[in-house]
Amino acid sequence: MDSLNLVLCAVAAASLDICALVLILTAYQERSTGKKRWGRMTSFMELADYSVSYPLDCDEILIGRHASADIRLPDLSVSRYHAILTVSNGVWTISDIGSKSGIYVNGNLIKTAQLKENDVIKLGNRRLVFRRKGVYRYEQ
Amino acid sequence: MSNKLTYVFSAIFVLLAHGGMLLNVFFNGNYSSVSSVIILSAAVLFLDIAYFTAMLFFKQNTYAIDFLMILLLNMSVIFQSCFGKVHLSIKHYITCIIALIACRAGYMLCRNHKWLQEQKKFFYIGIVILMVVIITLTGSRSMWISLGPITIQPSEFIKPLFVLACATSIAEQQKKRKVFIFHVVYENLALFGLMAMIFLLQWWCRDLGSLPTFVAIYACGFLLRICYPKAKFSKNKLIAAGTVLLIVAIIGIKFAPSYVQDRLHVDIWGDQSGDGYQQSQALIGIANGGWFGKGPGHGYLHNVFAHNNDIVFATISEEWGLLYALMMVFVILIIVMIPLINPPRSYFHATMATGICASFAVQMALNIFGSCNMIPFTGVTIPFISSGGSSLMVSGLMAGMLIACQSPVFVQSNKTKKKKPVQSVNYPQQQYSPRRESY
Amino acid sequence: MKSIKRCQRLMSLVLILFIIGMVALVVKIYRESSFYMINSDDLSLGKVYDRNGDVLFDGSGKTKFEDNYLIDVGNLIGDDNGQMTNTLVSRNIKRLNNYSFNSGLVSSGGKASIHTTLDHEANRKVYDAFSGQDGCAVAYDYKTGEILVCTSLPSIDVTKGYENIEELRSGTLMSKAMYRTVPGSTQKISTVVAALEIMGPEKLFSKSFSCSGTYENQGGNNIDCHNTYGHGTQNIQQAVENSCNPFFAQLVEDEDFPLKKIKSIYKEMGYTINDDSCGYIDIDGIKCEKASTTLNDPYEFKTQWGCIGQGDTLVSPVQLMMWQSAIANETGKMTMPYLISYTTDVNGKENYSVETEFSDRIFSPDTADTTKQILLTNGENNYSNLIGGYKIGVKSGTAQVNEGKNENSLLVGFVDDEEFPIAFCILLEDKNSTHIKTEYITKVLLDSLNETYSK
Repeated sequence: MDSLNLVLCAVAAASLDICALVLILTAYQERSTGKKRWGRMTSFMELADYSVSYPLDCDEILIGRHASADIRLPDLSVSRYHAILTVSNGVWTISDIGSKSGIYVNGNLIKTAQLKENDVIKLGNRRLVFRRKGVYRYEQ
Repeated sequence: MSNKLTYVFSAIFVLLAHGGMLLNVFFNGNYSSVSSVIILSAAVLFLDIAYFTAMLFFKQNTYAIDFLMILLLNMSVIFQSCFGKVHLSIKHYITCIIALIACRAGYMLCRNHKWLQEQKKFFYIGIVILMVVIITLTGSRSMWISLGPITIQPSEFIKPLFVLACATSIAEQQKKRKVFIFHVVYENLALFGLMAMIFLLQWWCRDLGSLPTFVAIYACGFLLRICYPKAKFSKNKLIAAGTVLLIVAIIGIKFAPSYVQDRLHVDIWGDQSGDGYQQSQALIGIANGGWFGKGPGHGYLHNVFAHNNDIVFATISEEWGLLYALMMVFVILIIVMIPLINPPRSYFHATMATGICASFAVQMALNIFGSCNMIPFTGVTIPFISSGGSSLMVSGLMAGMLIACQSPVFVQSNKTKKKKPVQSVNYPQQQYSPRRESY
Repeated sequence: MKSIKRCQRLMSLVLILFIIGMVALVVKIYRESSFYMINSDDLSLGKVYDRNGDVLFDGSGKTKFEDNYLIDVGNLIGDDNGQMTNTLVSRNIKRLNNYSFNSGLVSSGGKASIHTTLDHEANRKVYDAFSGQDGCAVAYDYKTGEILVCTSLPSIDVTKGYENIEELRSGTLMSKAMYRTVPGSTQKISTVVAALEIMGPEKLFSKSFSCSGTYENQGGNNIDCHNTYGHGTQNIQQAVENSCNPFFAQLVEDEDFPLKKIKSIYKEMGYTINDDSCGYIDIDGIKCEKASTTLNDPYEFKTQWGCIGQGDTLVSPVQLMMWQSAIANETGKMTMPYLISYTTDVNGKENYSVETEFSDRIFSPDTADTTKQILLTNGENNYSNLIGGYKIGVKSGTAQVNEGKNENSLLVGFVDDEEFPIAFCILLEDKNSTHIKTEYITKVLLDSLNETYSK
């Protein structure tokens, strides 16, 4: 194998390498813009406990006591799989999925309800506030 | 868009990567007249630019997979055009264009997962129809239908449908019904039945090569389904079940029919001119190529049957070097790794991406490890690289599905939407975006 | 997000499994590529050298050999055209391949080579000493295991090619030292070893049997002695020196020498008993046949002859020589012989070198010591004038082959010298048709090797 051959192979390989690297970087860039878009699309909402806030990062959020639930509320009054949050057209909806103690939104027992900002959701003994993410920043 | 500059750079680097390859072909390639290289270069660069232009008309959240796909498809055009002698492989070029179109179709169809879920029964029907087609139309227990010059492999088309059938949303898994004493989701039962049917069909057709792909897709779908219903399956139970399956598989192999056994134990070096011909030649080819290859078109493997699909990894290794072939595999891996970097936003899409990932990985494993004699040799194709219309088209479609995972729309279908009043709380402006927002 | 994360974990698992497979594949290809290339049509082979740098084989075909230059070791070294399979080159062709995954196939100027332990000059002299008579001679250093001489006749000049395979005499294209032959009285060494193991030296030396030229055994068959007048009453030392068959027949019949125990000691020594298939000793890939014999009943004719060296007993000269090493070392462990001292890869880098290996203990050091004394005494009493200048322990043998039509002469032994530790085995076929004696060949062998050693 002569040196020219080797150099050209190296050039082709290197250009492919760099290209792959650039495309991975592109994917990472898209990840950050994707996060912003997702927020815009879902109205920048989150669920908040007393101190903990749960991000709403995908379109179906399972709330319950079980370890595999997306939002885990370790409280015996909460069913293992209690409620599911879904988003559509930028509006979040909470639905009961066969819980024992039911869901109260602003004090009303409901099966399915669309959520508005600052709604208080009661699952068993636990209270969650449906609020805007980074709300403090907006108030300033 | 804020990412415009990034995309311009990506496009430039894709062009550079192809340019580097073409340069290599120009200086090291085996060609009689320069015109063949010029035609090849023109075709490749034209397809690049045409696709970049076409992408302008699609408003997507992410374009990384698009860039990776055009990079890979044009790489495969260059590879396939250099086997033996540099000449533009028109057939492969056209199938690549078809694959790109299929990719667009996959993207358009799979964005709205709620709509997809409503269509699920059609996937089942589609698979059943394809299976009937295989049984009735393909002659002599094979998987091929020949229509004049074109041969179609209908079993390939089952793959994307099966991936879609395996995908599921969380809400769906909560619709449990009681059967005897078990809480089950009817769809899981249906899916199991479907898998069993596919298994029987493949067994009957004696085409056990693509069976692992289906099993892998089903296994992923199954694992991601049983995680929810009442969580009966702890990790230990899963490991135990896995072990049992492994033992069953080992016993199954022991008592498998003779034609399977024959394929499992081939001493390729003892039977170099017979059953072991392709693999032994493939290994010799890889050894001959070394790290940097013999140069495009200078290989020997293009004389071997199925050099451009079943043992394509070895053929590329021989001509371009093992390093380059590994990088090609790496690019395919990046495509399926994108959902890891940029996670899908719905469980349905995530399970779909997992199925596609499993399908691609298993196909590559079967092809590459099979041709290198690590596992039994099966005639499975490498996605995007192997020639073969059906396989390329389906790979394109599945890549389109991956793109769709990145750009989902969350809209209810029309009938349910009407019931819902429009929200009128003080939400920020962005919330009143058009209904089919492609964010 | 947990649900999505779960999917991502599963995907990562699939991808990691695949990547592990890929890494395994690359490692496998990298390590085995040289073997793959051997199966390719285009090969570029390097050279084989002897211990002094003489070229014994050149894969490139560029070296011009004189006529009959390699006739002495040609059938051991062999060539690459696939006719001679049990030879050094064809068994080790991978080591000669001028190929590595990093540098590819080097068609000219590759430095892959095998450096053997053979002494070409000594081989040549030993070959000439046979004066064209068929046979073979093999000798090695029983301290290190280096095979120094391994020549076999008839032979052919392999460097000049051989198209007329049908016309060649049988045994031309193989090294006879690796194949079993009738050991004749050299088998008595094994029997002495077995007797010492079972009875111990004192009891064995107290035994004496008489020989009147022939002995009718308890089965009613006659065991003849080569001395038709008989040797009279002898002990074991005298019986070995006289190579007296009736003595050994009576020894086998003796109650203190149960056949069951003989069998187990023979097995330890490497015999295949009552079985046609034989195992192999691996000498750098070359297969050397293991000894075999048939032992059924201590009073049976065939079994008795089996312990004397006729009957069904077959031993390869190399194995006879290896037993000598176990005796000469006084450890009861054989020194494993080898031919390749080191090899170099395509870039000239040394990539393989040997270390001396010993077998498991096949008999006790005491037995080795006593046997050594018996053989040394035999050497001193009967061979000191024929093979002068060396302190040697030997046992000769005469083997009837072709149903008694021909007689082969064998001589196995060792030199008891720390500075010159040589074990050897000479086989001279059809001894009655020539004036050449095995003792003469041994003398030539030791003299020429001594030259090398004293350098």
